[in-house]
Amino acid sequence: MAALGSAKDPSPDCFAIFGLPRKLWIEMAALEQKFLKLSWKLHPDNFVSGTETERELSLKRSSELNDAYRTLRDPVGRIEYLLAIEGARKEGEHKQQAPPELLEEVFELNESLDELREARASGGDLAALKTRLESAEKSFQEKLGEVDAQLQAAAREWDAALQSDAATRKRVMAKLNDLLNRRSYIRNLVANVQKELL
Amino acid sequence: MGKIVGIDLGTTNSLVAYTDPQTGQPKCIQGPYGSTLCPSVVSLDVDGTIVVGEAARRRLLTQPERTIYSVKRLMGRGPADVQTELKLFPFRIDSSSKNVIRVKLGEKVFTPPEISAFILRELKNWAEAHFGETVDRAVITVPAYFNDAQRQATKDAGKIGGLEVLRLVNEPTAAALAYGLHEKQRGKVAVYDLGGGTFDISVLKLISTTEGDIFQVLSTNGDTHLGGDDIDNLLQAFVHELILQHDEIDFSPHGELAQELRKALIDVKHRLSEAESATLRFPLPNGDVFTHEFTRGAFEALIRPVVDRTMGPVKQALADAQLKPTDMDEVVLVGGATRTPLIRRTVQEFFGRKPHIELNPDEVVALGAAVQANILDQGVKTMLLLDVTPLSLGIETYGGAVAKIIPRNSTIPASAQELYTTGVDNQTGIDIHVLQGERELAKDCRSLARFTLRVPPAPAGLPRIEVKFLIDANGILQVGAKDLRTGEQHSIEVQPSYGINDSEIERMLEESIEYAEQDFAERQVIEARTESESILTATAKALANPQSAGLSAEERAKIDASVAALRESVTGSDYKLIRKRIDELNHATEHLAELLMNSAVSTALEGRKLAEV
Repeated sequence: MAALGSAKDPSPDCFAIFGLPRKLWIEMAALEQKFLKLSWKLHPDNFVSGTETERELSLKRSSELNDAYRTLRDPVGRIEYLLAIEGARKEGEHKQQAPPELLEEVFELNESLDELREARASGGDLAALKTRLESAEKSFQEKLGEVDAQLQAAAREWDAALQSDAATRKRVMAKLNDLLNRRSYIRNLVANVQKELL
Repeated sequence: MGKIVGIDLGTTNSLVAYTDPQTGQPKCIQGPYGSTLCPSVVSLDVDGTIVVGEAARRRLLTQPERTIYSVKRLMGRGPADVQTELKLFPFRIDSSSKNVIRVKLGEKVFTPPEISAFILRELKNWAEAHFGETVDRAVITVPAYFNDAQRQATKDAGKIGGLEVLRLVNEPTAAALAYGLHEKQRGKVAVYDLGGGTFDISVLKLISTTEGDIFQVLSTNGDTHLGGDDIDNLLQAFVHELILQHDEIDFSPHGELAQELRKALIDVKHRLSEAESATLRFPLPNGDVFTHEFTRGAFEALIRPVVDRTMGPVKQALADAQLKPTDMDEVVLVGGATRTPLIRRTVQEFFGRKPHIELNPDEVVALGAAVQANILDQGVKTMLLLDVTPLSLGIETYGGAVAKIIPRNSTIPASAQELYTTGVDNQTGIDIHVLQGERELAKDCRSLARFTLRVPPAPAGLPRIEVKFLIDANGILQVGAKDLRTGEQHSIEVQPSYGINDSEIERMLEESIEYAEQDFAERQVIEARTESESILTATAKALANPQSAGLSAEERAKIDASVAALRESVTGSDYKLIRKRIDELNHATEHLAELLMNSAVSTALEGRKLAEV
């Protein structure tokens, strides 16, 4: 089956599977069309009565296709993945230090969270603390929105720099990496607050 | 190669269907009792033979300790998982159960896949009797929310039952496939599937492409222990309590009387789907008849908790697909329990649209399985199913936390690679624990497998082992490992936490064939003859009763003719003819049965057959 290629072929990266350059802006409707077209060709349903090699290859290729579609559909996952294959981000990297300009607010937030837990344990008044936490959550949500906007801008910068020299590309990648770490940090904060407020 | 079928292996009933090569339409196959539903009940006869389906269901009343129903609730689960189940269902778990549950039927012990295999073998027999040809391959449906262990157990059941399982298809997806073929629907579809013991909600997108139609599942959610059974349990508990208060009779929840009551209550439930009220009349051992009138309102108030429990998963599935209830173009109801008016109303109100009920909710899943079976068999490239994994796959990390590596609702097949190394010099093994579930801690997720990755001795941090976790198109996990330094592939022996290993399956397959050795047709003839004997005896006894004088001459002549016809048919070996004659005699003796009962009891036994009086 020509569609499957050979078992010896190295696994292509997510962009290559869809025949795309390593650009961060992706037209979603076109991506979906391509995904459906490739699914027709590669899905294991086509090879139920095929040879064992064909069945294995179909499983491998179709899982790679699905993994790639999942990765590229997610705007943030897409950036993380790009940095990983460009060698600018180690897999699973999430820097947990607070960004310096957020230190003060994070400190306050953690204090409020502690107070809330204490008040809960001792049966104290929760309402005021909850209001404070809710407004803190809102403020961090806004910051998350800001980071997302910055990420988008940096992503456009990357796409524009695709043909540029290595130094420029390296600089944009470092910027993207910092923004991703910052985003993951803030997102964890928001998740923690939401958990306490439940 | 033999024929291929689609099988709905249900909690309460199971069905088998095929695609008619002439019309291209799927059809369910009837069993010896003339119904397409095979009750998912298995009984071990005192002579050591296995009885399945309607015949076994009747034994629930006479030999409950040798008979089991709703075994699907035990598939892929360990003894510790089923404690709540044991309070509600008469499962007799053997003390030898370790990871895999073993159930007692009389003096023998079986695993849930073996019991399911008996049901599958029965359906295989139905199909073989229908085609007059061997059936050796099947597509079997599973609840979309089944985890890896439950899926593996179903696949094992297929193997033990003598079937090559070409694919496990999710029940709501199968239903969508049947509807898609039937109605040519397009757009976004929600499938609400409340069966006997499981609940699923799936959100799909139906897309027409130049190659054909694609059924893409966007998200799924559910509860593998929620279904019509739970409605029956609520009713039963409610009436037990009433009987305890009024008549001071406290019967053991799993005894014969409880089974009788359950049967009567299921009948009340069914009547309430049509009528505004229904009366339960239940003869008690002390000679009284317990009577209770259920209005639909009171019934709905009683069962509302079950209906409410379905709505959490519905909302989660929509949220995961990033859709609102009003974004749905179609809503489809599947499963016998969705005949309940309260459920129809609740679903309609939530989605703001009238749900589809055109296809028989009991049959639609089996029909969809037959469609998929045909696609796989013929390589029919007009339709493609893209399903998802219902639960996130994770691995245990430091401190008992779980790192999610394949998120729920990922299109399958799906995979993830993890890189492992050693922390100590000359370390020879790395322990890996694979889990499924949405919770953050390993102890709250479902353990799928634990295994030790073998590493050649080397300084700490030098080995580079890539482990590949792959969920195949059946939703079942496969694990492979590669040493990145040598390029060597490691095969990994993954011992599932709640599974049976291959050699056990082989042994079970052999035993299952022994049980099945008695020829299917031969057994049907024996069963039909036994049944005709009991109805002939009952008829003779009834005709000897003075009350029979109330029959008209015409009625009497009809009975005599039916008796003669049945007697004649029993001399032959056409079990379908014998069944037909039994039905005719049952019909002819309806008035006689009524005459025989005194007025108080007669209402309680309304609609019963003479042999059951």
